[in-house]
Amino acid sequence: MNVYRAIALALRTLSRNRLRTCFMMLGVVVGISSLTALSSVGESTRQETMHRFKRMVGTFDTVIVRPGAGRTRGMPSLTTVPPTLKFEDAKAIAAEVPEVLRVAEVQNAFDVDVKYRERTDAPAIFGVSSNWMALRDDEVAQGSGITDEDVQALARVAVIGADVKAVLFADEDPIGRTVRIADVPFQVKGVLASRGAGPGGASLDNLLLVPVTTASRRLFNRDFLTMLIAQLKDPEQGDAAVARITALLRERHHIVPPAADDFTMTNPRAAMARVTEVGSTLSKVLTGVAALATLIGGVVIMSLMLIAVSERRKEIGVRRSVGASRQDIMVQFLLEALTISALGGLVGIAIGVGGTSLATWLQHLPPALVWRAIGGAVTVSVAVGLVFGLHPAWKASNVDPIAALRA
Amino acid sequence: MVEVSRVSKTYRRGDGTPVAALREVTFSIAAGEFVTIRGASGSGKSSLLNIIGCLDTPTSGTYRLAGEDVCTYTDKERSKVRCRRIGFVFQSFNLLPRTTAVENVEIPMVYGGGWVDRAKALATLRRVGLGERAQHFATELSGGEQQRVAIARALVNDPPLLLADEPTGNLDSVAGESIMQLLTTLHRDGRTIILVTHDEHVASYASRELVLRDGQLVSDVTRANQPLASATQ
Repeated sequence: MNVYRAIALALRTLSRNRLRTCFMMLGVVVGISSLTALSSVGESTRQETMHRFKRMVGTFDTVIVRPGAGRTRGMPSLTTVPPTLKFEDAKAIAAEVPEVLRVAEVQNAFDVDVKYRERTDAPAIFGVSSNWMALRDDEVAQGSGITDEDVQALARVAVIGADVKAVLFADEDPIGRTVRIADVPFQVKGVLASRGAGPGGASLDNLLLVPVTTASRRLFNRDFLTMLIAQLKDPEQGDAAVARITALLRERHHIVPPAADDFTMTNPRAAMARVTEVGSTLSKVLTGVAALATLIGGVVIMSLMLIAVSERRKEIGVRRSVGASRQDIMVQFLLEALTISALGGLVGIAIGVGGTSLATWLQHLPPALVWRAIGGAVTVSVAVGLVFGLHPAWKASNVDPIAALRA
Repeated sequence: MVEVSRVSKTYRRGDGTPVAALREVTFSIAAGEFVTIRGASGSGKSSLLNIIGCLDTPTSGTYRLAGEDVCTYTDKERSKVRCRRIGFVFQSFNLLPRTTAVENVEIPMVYGGGWVDRAKALATLRRVGLGERAQHFATELSGGEQQRVAIARALVNDPPLLLADEPTGNLDSVAGESIMQLLTTLHRDGRTIILVTHDEHVASYASRELVLRDGQLVSDVTRANQPLASATQ
């Protein structure tokens, strides 16, 4: 008996027993639809969380190094930051740590007045190297960003955030205007594209960028960094990079055990893992429940198939008498279970995908047609049919045709 | 065609005590014969038919079908023998429920290796006189009609050997008579028929009669005067 014929036979048998078929499919439909929906919604939420997170912290493939042991309380300012992290440290990391793509040098400060004519604002001031924009995936809405030439020339130029533009310039075109940062005149050369709200709901646009060298020599007169950000070539290499940077900085800062590090490293990837973990615990529990439903669906298939085998002993006997081998009978019953479970899986996927589309549409999440979830659902439903169909099929193949025909 | 040599069959009851259904039965049947195996219930005639039909194997002794020792075959090989060379007709018809007459007739073709040939199934149904009932379900047919469908099913792969176990046992005498007429016609067309019955009247259609008692062959009579026994050896 070939497979095509066996499938045709299974479909005919199932279509002649519609009610039984529906009952058998039910568990798998429920299980698979919730599995599909959950993994799709989960994936969609995860993507959305990642997207937001990425927008908040810049890229997530970065290691941030700050001076001082442990987290500095409150906002960092030049007076509270230990002067241990130097420009040379940044250069050394970029040169010697193979996992690192580039290192941004940052010298930031708060509570510094920025004035334009009679208006005053106090944005976060960031002295940055020219690679900052690329590293943060920042874009300019107007003008241009901080360049290498600006950094080398200690240029008194500034790139302002959208909020700063709104406060200082309102509707005026800020490009080419002169603002006074701590009474030092700077020429505005660009406006950053808006990033929206950050983690605490605070705006991410209330900042002002100047070349890090200018900030160091002309603004704050400090030769240390408040922060350096190392972007990795491969986000998966975070742990290796952290280890190497630690070793390198300890060596450079002449720290010998048991002395502690005089710097702190945060790996935004780890932070993001925590963010996405919150959602995933719930979705893991729900996925477990859905998996359980699928499992129960499989058990239902098995028990109803076992009943069918004993009801169809005569059919088995007839088939055996006209030339079906044990293997033919086994294949027939296995394919019936497989067909039911696969059909149930398809219906489940349809419901799951439909439900997901509705849910994402209602919650304004990006629509996530997750092929991985669908592929997983197909695999699971086929596996359920095979696993739970095996025992009934084996039983069917072992029906004694003589006894079955005598009855 | 059928050679049964010192065949014994012993079953074990549920409590483990052995029951001898057949004891040292020996006979042979030539191609084209119409033979009845008669005996009281429990005489071992159905056991014998199951062995001849390759559904069962003897405990001891040998059984050859067309010279082949089919008892040594694997399940798959014996299934193939059943499919190609043997047609079964049962007392209780054994048509599949929720399956039309023509679909029932098609079942042996499913296992035959060739295509399921709807036209051939319909032709076979016409041959047993049920051409117009092809699309009816088994439950919509009378007993005699159901048995005709069963005979068509047994014939569809064109096996040389037809085995019938009390084919008229569940039918009234008119229907039974017409079934016997049909079997007689098939025999006349050259088919070897072995029919198990406890009914002497049914046995009288055959050219040869084997009688079993308590698992032993007690009589083997060929009716030379049977007008239908044209192909007897």
